[in-house]
Amino acid sequence: MKTNLLNIIFTLLGALILLFIVAPLLGMVLATSPETLFDTAREKEVQGSIWLTVWVSMVATILFGIAAIPFSYLLARKEFPLKKLVTGIIDLPVVIPHSAAGIAILGFVSRNSVVGQIGSSLGLDFVGHPSGIGIAMAFVSLPFLINAARDGFAGVPVRLEKAAMTLGASPFRVFTTISLPLAWRNIVSGAILMFARGMSEFGAVIIIAYHPMVTPVLIYERFGSFGLTYARPVAVLFIFVSLAAFILLRSLASPKSKFNR
Amino acid sequence: MLSLNHIVLRLEEFSLHDITFDVDQGDYCMLLGESGAGKSLILEMIAGLVTPSSGVISLRGEEITHKRIQDRNIGLVFQDYAVFPHLSVRANIAYPLKGRFNTDEKQQRIQRIAEKLGILHVLHRSPVTLSGGELQRVALARTLVLEPSVLLLDEPLSSLDPKLKASLRTLLKHLHQEGQTILHVTHDLQEALFLADKVVVIEQGTISRSGPPEEIFRHTGSEFLDHFTNNLNPPYQI
Repeated sequence: MKTNLLNIIFTLLGALILLFIVAPLLGMVLATSPETLFDTAREKEVQGSIWLTVWVSMVATILFGIAAIPFSYLLARKEFPLKKLVTGIIDLPVVIPHSAAGIAILGFVSRNSVVGQIGSSLGLDFVGHPSGIGIAMAFVSLPFLINAARDGFAGVPVRLEKAAMTLGASPFRVFTTISLPLAWRNIVSGAILMFARGMSEFGAVIIIAYHPMVTPVLIYERFGSFGLTYARPVAVLFIFVSLAAFILLRSLASPKSKFNR
Repeated sequence: MLSLNHIVLRLEEFSLHDITFDVDQGDYCMLLGESGAGKSLILEMIAGLVTPSSGVISLRGEEITHKRIQDRNIGLVFQDYAVFPHLSVRANIAYPLKGRFNTDEKQQRIQRIAEKLGILHVLHRSPVTLSGGELQRVALARTLVLEPSVLLLDEPLSSLDPKLKASLRTLLKHLHQEGQTILHVTHDLQEALFLADKVVVIEQGTISRSGPPEEIFRHTGSEFLDHFTNNLNPPYQI
């Protein structure tokens, strides 16, 4: 009887939390007519902004992922001095205010910095450029990929890697044929989270690049200049695009076969 | 053929000291000891997965103590089989053959070893659909396909039911009769009596005795051996 009452209380609390998440989003969607949404979707500025947001976040996820995934393997498998400190540093972007992260990145990539000067010598100015936006997106979203991949690698039995080595595989082959495929689900989940988090980044991005305008900045700009009525359709459209991308990537990442660990 | 000389391994909470024994060509050597005695660590040192603190491991007269794992030509079958769950049985057996043989020879080798171990019918299947006995045979096939100089077996029968155990025992005996040198780790005295022509007993991190099984079990005198010989089933009693 006591358990049943506890279950009821927990279920009610769960329902309240779900309502808290769904209600504002649903309210926003219901307050936007299909005609307005359709008109907004046809705007060149909106289309360009959404496309920019999606591809920059995608490229940032792939490029930074190439370095982050082997690093995650190292974190899962090796013990080294100051490992706890390194793990803490990885989580830093999650806990610091993103506007502060934006200021830090601006100092790192501005024309006066070493990185900025190297970029300038190659004809690349990070500030006000998609590359700068990608850096800002990656800075705040990398922990999601690293942590998920590290957990994935940690879940791969060491004995399978040892077995592969005794069968003549080099460490690189063990990584690519055993560790990576077995941790793949976690890695893809982490990459999807990183991609989604990068797309939704506002605070760090607006400091690096107001223009070209990613969608979160466009929503803010429309809200500031024209008010809620003009900002809302872009926000709804962006939510639909984000959801579509999220569902598509999740379905692509769903396992074809199950296996025991 | 395989020789361990004064091997010492110091770990944080465990150590092996003065491990010395030989396995001759064609021997079926059983490394016998209680759980936690360090038997598996000895196998991992021979395979190259763990480096001893001191001492020498030699194979066919060549020192291999610090030789790369991949170049030792020593096969190790793990206690939990360690069959790759994301690869088919065929891909598991083909795994060590990559870069060594052409496609035709690879397929011939896979067919041959699968036939020998009675797993031809499961070649296309995923390991997650196999029984413990089948998994053990796949692990053996994957290791034997490269024709290793020495086959190391880490408690290969421990997690099988009695019927499968008997069938695998017969298979191991058959492999030995064909000339395969085998070093088999177990805590089961009956396995040692049935299969081994040499037994090495490890107690408290060191070798307490070694020799033919009849000799080892006739003169027990150690707590470990006494415990086991007193509990032997009738068919195995000495």
